[in-house]
Amino acid sequence: MSNADVEVEVQDEDETMDNPNDIIVGDHDEDDAINQVKSNARHRKGRGFNEQSDRLAMQTGDYDTITNDSDSGNPGPARSVEGWILFITNVHEEAQEDNMFDLFRDYGNIKNMHLNLDRRTGYAKGYALVEYETFKEAKEALEGINGQDLLGHTLHVDWAFVKGPLKKRGTGNSSSRKATTGTGRTTYQRR
Amino acid sequence: MSESNDDFYLRYYVGHKGKFGHEFLEFEFRPDGKLRYANNSNYKKDTLIRKEVYVNRAVIEELKRIVNESDIMKEDDAVWPPQDRTGRQELEIVLGDEHISFTTAKIGSLIDINNSRDPDGLRCFYYLVQDLKCFVFSLIGLHFKIQPI
Repeated sequence: MSNADVEVEVQDEDETMDNPNDIIVGDHDEDDAINQVKSNARHRKGRGFNEQSDRLAMQTGDYDTITNDSDSGNPGPARSVEGWILFITNVHEEAQEDNMFDLFRDYGNIKNMHLNLDRRTGYAKGYALVEYETFKEAKEALEGINGQDLLGHTLHVDWAFVKGPLKKRGTGNSSSRKATTGTGRTTYQRR
Repeated sequence: MSESNDDFYLRYYVGHKGKFGHEFLEFEFRPDGKLRYANNSNYKKDTLIRKEVYVNRAVIEELKRIVNESDIMKEDDAVWPPQDRTGRQELEIVLGDEHISFTTAKIGSLIDINNSRDPDGLRCFYYLVQDLKCFVFSLIGLHFKIQPI
């Protein structure tokens, strides 16, 4: 909580705290968390520490968000505007949309798929997003494809979005890992 | 406080002040998984888009991988072109014990990079920023069904 006993090497880092316009009630805990993460770092580098930032947007105003009536602060996947989105990692750099499409269409109608490319090499960057209309399709694809092999790489499939903040990893490392994958397959319900 | 520090924070800003006012794009990934996205373009009509959503741990881990493999944390912005009339970019990342806060001018093309005093470093920055934008545009675009930019 208190930053008083934290050694702050770079003064300008706290510039945002000096501006009265920045104060947003309710965001303080989050800003504390960001400042904590910044002050934990031991090595700092860059001109940004000594320059006035032009940024304004992040500090003021409201952000649009999607809320479901089933949101009650419990963890678990979050619905997107038009469906449920999976996040796939460890995708082989030579994977093509066809490969991914063939794999995922067995579980339902794919509404959207992004297989983004590395801008330097032009090969797949290593992750993909796949959207289904229904929770059931997405959940079955998650369970069916997670751990499957594609071009010699084991695919990891998880939900892209969750309903609330991630737990700090430090406490019970392995259990929080399990909880993340567990959300896909256990108690979550939707009418 | 634990010794092995896997703290992560990432923020990118690009913008300029011109005849259409302050136009910018900014996004950040907070330690609790909250992704915030803001885009203000005054061209033709006023549009300020502000979105936020919590991403899953797997998304943060993938982002960390991308940052790590880019080697951006080893670069230094000391001799990169400073901001100018055309605008300014800011990239701030906390990755464990390392904290960078880089600023530079907008980069128009690879020619700007090759003519700079630190082509390798600036190229690293340039491609990472492109990959980050692509990453965020997919997440925000799919979740909210908007066309970012």
